[in-house]
Amino acid sequence: MKNLGSVFAAYLIGWSVFFLFYITIAKRTSDLRSEIERLKNSLPRGK
Amino acid sequence: MAKRIILGAVALLLVIAAAYASFFVAPTERTMGDIQRIFYFHVGSAWAAMDAFFVCFIANLLYVWKRQQKYDSLAVSCAEVGLVLTTVVLITGPIWAKPVWGIYWTWDARLTSTFVLWLLYISYLLLRSLIEEADRRALLSALFGIFAFIDVPLVFFSIRWWRTQHPAPVIMGGSGSGLDPTMNKVFFFSVFAMHVLAAFLIVERYVLEQMRHDIELLQREAEA
Amino acid sequence: MSLFSNTATLLGKELRTEFRSRELLTTTVIFILVVLILFSFAISPTAEESREFGPGLLWLAILFAASLMLQPCFLREQTNDTLSSLRLAVSDPFSIFLAKLIANTLFLLLTEILMLPLFAAFYNIPILPQLHYLLLVLFLGSLGVSVAGTALSAISAQARMRELLLPLLLLPLLTPVLVVSATVSVSLLDREPVVQWKGIAFLAIFDLIFLTALWLFGEYLLEE
Repeated sequence: MKNLGSVFAAYLIGWSVFFLFYITIAKRTSDLRSEIERLKNSLPRGK
Repeated sequence: MAKRIILGAVALLLVIAAAYASFFVAPTERTMGDIQRIFYFHVGSAWAAMDAFFVCFIANLLYVWKRQQKYDSLAVSCAEVGLVLTTVVLITGPIWAKPVWGIYWTWDARLTSTFVLWLLYISYLLLRSLIEEADRRALLSALFGIFAFIDVPLVFFSIRWWRTQHPAPVIMGGSGSGLDPTMNKVFFFSVFAMHVLAAFLIVERYVLEQMRHDIELLQREAEA
Repeated sequence: MSLFSNTATLLGKELRTEFRSRELLTTTVIFILVVLILFSFAISPTAEESREFGPGLLWLAILFAASLMLQPCFLREQTNDTLSSLRLAVSDPFSIFLAKLIANTLFLLLTEILMLPLFAAFYNIPILPQLHYLLLVLFLGSLGVSVAGTALSAISAQARMRELLLPLLLLPLLTPVLVVSATVSVSLLDREPVVQWKGIAFLAIFDLIFLTALWLFGEYLLEE
């Protein structure tokens, strides 16, 4: 039963890394989505 | 969109199931004890990373040949996800190593190759960040990606054949080398789960990259 | 055989350009010298340690020097856009690379040969008995450095921060060359010298693999 703490730590750290990576992608994706909307709205005006 | 959510949900479930299996289904290893359970997560990530880099390599070749944006988006997605997976491998490895070998690190073939691999793909992403024009960036990074991937087996074998004078701690033989059948099943299930997770992350990153490309085109149109 | 004649002509141009000023050669020789001296200040090795570490340090110095020496390779073609004229002038773009990498190998070899007596003196390592094998290892190692370096120099020349980028791309890639060249050199210069033919073969294979990759993908590196 020793070292189980290290195992937990390893899994937790690993999952946090994946989770963090996913969060950054999701955030950038939603930012881009609003940017696309903004650009699409500005186009008909320009043309 | 719905497919992506389903993939994400499946990936999450599989990862949780694999973790459960690693802790409660797999028997405790005789020599090392519970610390060995990191093995399922650690090696699963490593194999998924190698496959991600392999797909990146194929995407690089396809881009050089066909010059279609989607291959560049796929390449950078695979490279980033592979890098994230490799980072996890490099973190969980020493956590496993310290209790078992008494040291955090050693310069044997597998560890050193993993570290050089990590460096090479960091350089790949760095190169991309230093080229502004999209087509140029795609082409040059694809070419570097090809050279980098060709180098990997050379790195591995050069260390394996010429750096073994250091006392190499006996790393638990890879799967199948006399592994208990239950452990084997948990192991392959973990490998599968990590691959699905990697696939999900690659898809999400790919969608983001394609969106960025669309925005660039729209911006150019808006300015015209 | 227009590849041969194109390469020969371009090689002549590369050599003439360098020997007119000899600035690349002199600065590289001095750089390797300075690095070797700094190593002995940092480590202050005993006579035995010098023999053990010396060749490895020499190769490290060569790698650092090369990553600086290879910078102007394609950069100097950018000042007057001579690269487009070169591409128009030759039938096979590979001849441009071939000429440059042969020139770079020769320059590297020349600096190494000039350095050898000083290296032998400072590190107290007799080099004469095994000189022919040592030259062979120097040649194969330098060829590897040149092939990879010339290709990567073409890539980094088109990016920002190219002075920092080239070493970052090149050094991880050349890990196999460093490991094998250093190990083979150490055993060659040992009290009881051994010629590691497997290592020499490995270096030759490394050179061949990257030469082939450059041949396959070189034209894309030069695209406008």
